Amino acid sequence: MLRRFEMYSLGPNVDPHAIAAMESAFLHAGRYIPELLHSALGRNLSAAPRDVIWEHGYESPAAYQRYMIHPYHAAVLDRFLLRDSPECIVIESPLSDAGLVGYSCDGTPYRLSAGVRRVTLLSVDQAASPGAMQELEATLGRAYRHTAGMTVCTVARNTMGSRWFDAVTPITAPSRWTHIWEQGFDTLEDLESYRTGESPEAKAERTGWAGWMDGIVTQSAELYYQIRSEEARR
Amino acid sequence: MYLVDTIEVGSDEADRYVDLVQEEAVPLMNDAGAQLVACWATSKEIGEDVAVKVVWSCADHVAWNEIRKNLVLDPRYYAYAARSASLRKGGDRRFYYPASYSPIR
Repeated sequence: MLRRFEMYSLGPNVDPHAIAAMESAFLHAGRYIPELLHSALGRNLSAAPRDVIWEHGYESPAAYQRYMIHPYHAAVLDRFLLRDSPECIVIESPLSDAGLVGYSCDGTPYRLSAGVRRVTLLSVDQAASPGAMQELEATLGRAYRHTAGMTVCTVARNTMGSRWFDAVTPITAPSRWTHIWEQGFDTLEDLESYRTGESPEAKAERTGWAGWMDGIVTQSAELYYQIRSEEARR
Repeated sequence: MYLVDTIEVGSDEADRYVDLVQEEAVPLMNDAGAQLVACWATSKEIGEDVAVKVVWSCADHVAWNEIRKNLVLDPRYYAYAARSASLRKGGDRRFYYPASYSPIR
């Protein structure tokens, strides 16, 4: 599977009806583009300068490539997103290279049709050894074991950031966000319990990852939102 | 296939907008792979905002996907888009496909 997030900052004084139209276009995209799976979205509740997060998945690069050339993508989604469109409502963000991130995975460990999604973007020291990198990924991937209410816990390398055109070929420089740590919680209270809790990962996060696993994480950004999905509405 | 933008601008900004299309959008879009078909504007002398209609063409959605990639990777695109946004009051974007009997295909 290909897992993908698009994260947008809204311009000032955007008409709420236009925002609702964009969110509806995201939410219902799978009705028109059958290759687009597990579409869900939310309004970011963290301090990171992103407002709307749209998450979804594809079975393969070929499926993703069909999405890219679908009329709904060009005519409906891009209406709100392409900067030269008269209907564009999004703007550049200080978190500029977090606009599109994603990864490959086996199966759909990310599935969450309701609750709270948290996406933690990590910048991992590229001088770290392969062993240290794998240990980091394994450690974060096990965090759910000692975190009540964490129902999804997946960590992966951000391969989609620079491969957004066809999901295969890098066409831009690698993103500073080398890893995505995606989590799901039943409630905002569960997320808050994790953040204020005593797990090694929560403690590391509260100190900006300083010194944790020999300082392998150099930077992070957190986004979280209440999931809105078509599945949850059925 | 046609990309048709309708841009609403104040009558005092209409000439600037039309010039912007000629000076910045046309070279940008041509380099990306799209062709200008038409640029029309309504009258500045009727007490209304001016609607500028800009029509681009490309072969199909596969071609547009490539054009779109070329645009967003071109730094000129963002400068042009910012200038365009600063002039417009509103508008819309639609894709059109010719009917079989259309004189313009």
